[in-house]
Amino acid sequence: MRTTGLATPADQHRVSSRLRNLALIIGLALYTMYAAGPFAWVALMSLRTTTEIAADPYALPWPMHWDKFLSAWVDSNYDVYFLNSVTIVLSAVAILTVVGGMAAHCFARYTFRFKGLLYFLIFSTIIFPPQVTVIGLFQILVEYGLFNNRLGLVLVYVSIQMPITIYILEAFFARIPNDLFDAARMDGYSEWEIFWKISFPVALPAISTTIILNTILLWNEFLYAVVLISDDDKRTLPLGVLRFMGDQLEDVGMLATGLMIAIVPVVLIYIFFSERLIQGMTAGAVK
Amino acid sequence: MAVVTLENICKSYVAGEERAVDDVSLTIQDGEFMVLLGPSGCGKSTTLRMIAGLESITSGTLSIDDEPMNAVPAKNRDIAMVFQSYALYPHMTVRDNLGFGLKRRKIPKAEVAKRVEAVAQSIGLSDYLERKPHALSGGQRQRVALGRAIVRDPKVFLFDEPLSNLDAALRVSTRAELVRLHRELSATMIYVTHDQVEAMTMGDRVCIMSKGEVAQVGTPMDVYLNPASTFVASFLGNPPMNLLPCVADETGVNVAGRHWTGNTNNSSPGTDLVFGIRPEDLVHLESEDGANISGEILSVEPLGAETLIYVQTQADDQPLIVREGRATTAKLGQTIHLACKPGMVRLFDAQTGLALTPPTGETP
Repeated sequence: MRTTGLATPADQHRVSSRLRNLALIIGLALYTMYAAGPFAWVALMSLRTTTEIAADPYALPWPMHWDKFLSAWVDSNYDVYFLNSVTIVLSAVAILTVVGGMAAHCFARYTFRFKGLLYFLIFSTIIFPPQVTVIGLFQILVEYGLFNNRLGLVLVYVSIQMPITIYILEAFFARIPNDLFDAARMDGYSEWEIFWKISFPVALPAISTTIILNTILLWNEFLYAVVLISDDDKRTLPLGVLRFMGDQLEDVGMLATGLMIAIVPVVLIYIFFSERLIQGMTAGAVK
Repeated sequence: MAVVTLENICKSYVAGEERAVDDVSLTIQDGEFMVLLGPSGCGKSTTLRMIAGLESITSGTLSIDDEPMNAVPAKNRDIAMVFQSYALYPHMTVRDNLGFGLKRRKIPKAEVAKRVEAVAQSIGLSDYLERKPHALSGGQRQRVALGRAIVRDPKVFLFDEPLSNLDAALRVSTRAELVRLHRELSATMIYVTHDQVEAMTMGDRVCIMSKGEVAQVGTPMDVYLNPASTFVASFLGNPPMNLLPCVADETGVNVAGRHWTGNTNNSSPGTDLVFGIRPEDLVHLESEDGANISGEILSVEPLGAETLIYVQTQADDQPLIVREGRATTAKLGQTIHLACKPGMVRLFDAQTGLALTPPTGETP
């Protein structure tokens, strides 16, 4: 009888699965460091002054300069940028969710004349890179008095994100069984009520997905904002970061502080909706 | 109180193309349990959906209590429907599912709660009111779907194959429950199914449909015993009615090399007819004397309570099926002699497939 080594196949199996887990954890840890490293670095720099950073880029923030956040917020107009970003992005996302949801509901549920053509027209806009459309948009907004106007930017944001929103929601709505709508009709509800009471709540996972996607993309949007807004007090957060980037000199410390202010809401929204985001992405995968 | 009348109802999805429902006329009496029965694609579900208002009516008139309903939207017809997939609202609890239709009708909250509780009690789901559909079993979901219809107290109940997603045992008990429900509510019910056992056991009357048309309407026993056409004869019954080609003569018909004496409804001698006899109406004879049909036994299937005997006759490639008791003497390869029970032979026109009317009876 052997006294050393692994006694049973079950033990061997347990050890090998532990080893595999260990390898996985190490792999994941390395990837997380790679992915989150720059973020952590900016977070550390946001608490240090530019002079400190210049002296030693990778040192720990000691002492911590929390006052930099206050000075960015008050002295560098970040309170205004933040408010602008919140208003513009919230309005655009709200319109996108409601109008996109309705459009997706119609595309998924009803047959009507020119449906195919309409669908094609909406989606064909995806193929143009923003650099191509931005000049045309600039002209149009100037024409209608919407240049350098927050409403104008909201409308542009709605139009650029609408196709992908409809696309995601349509795919989800199409999977809701038709009987559900027939049942609601028999229960006495109109098409309008059915959209709000059945389609919308049932598709909540997909709707959350589009909310997160649109919020993150629009919150970080730079190109349209920089072209279509000129007044400082109408700028959004990504433009605010520009303040600290001079021609000759960059205030790296303040830049990091500004970036952190811009990132925090996105992280919060992600945490709040992520459960639903995952549901949305995996919905229908497992029945 | 609700009488549902269909007059020459037609439905075509694309103008000019084949009709999904073709000239259906049918009256469902107040408190009647009418079953629409037929193979898939026969138009029974489309007919039901037209009654519900979920499908437009191409031509013809639908009325409930003599009031035309063609242009009335589904929500104003006061009809409840139970769907095959149950169609429970997945984001609502059982309580909200049951009360959803009532809320729309502006019924006071207290009244809604009272009715929901009462219905939940009657379908045995009182303890599950706060659950969502995904946390219920198939049978429970089915009962919620049923409860959702009952709670509205509608004029007419529609059922679209409500039992087909249940397992066999549950199907039998739910069938009994539906019959009980119909007795209690004495409401007008229209029930679509492709399962003839459901049709036979539940319906006051059965409407058999084929290719969008009504093939026959009658009580379950009536359509079973006196099928109006070869389609009904071969669709109803398991195994179905035996149909053999035969030729009329002066006193009866020549079938499978033998003679059957009986009324051929004045068919001229030499006319091609179809000879129909149910498997249980064939009697196994000991000798050739008095036999109407003879043949070789192809196989014997003992099913426990009964035995099915497959017989090859001269008349047809299709084997004839005989239903015998458990204690049969039939053996594979034997020649079997069969007599038809008096009054049970049905004759059909070979061209049209329609029964020779009046139902054929033997000469004394």
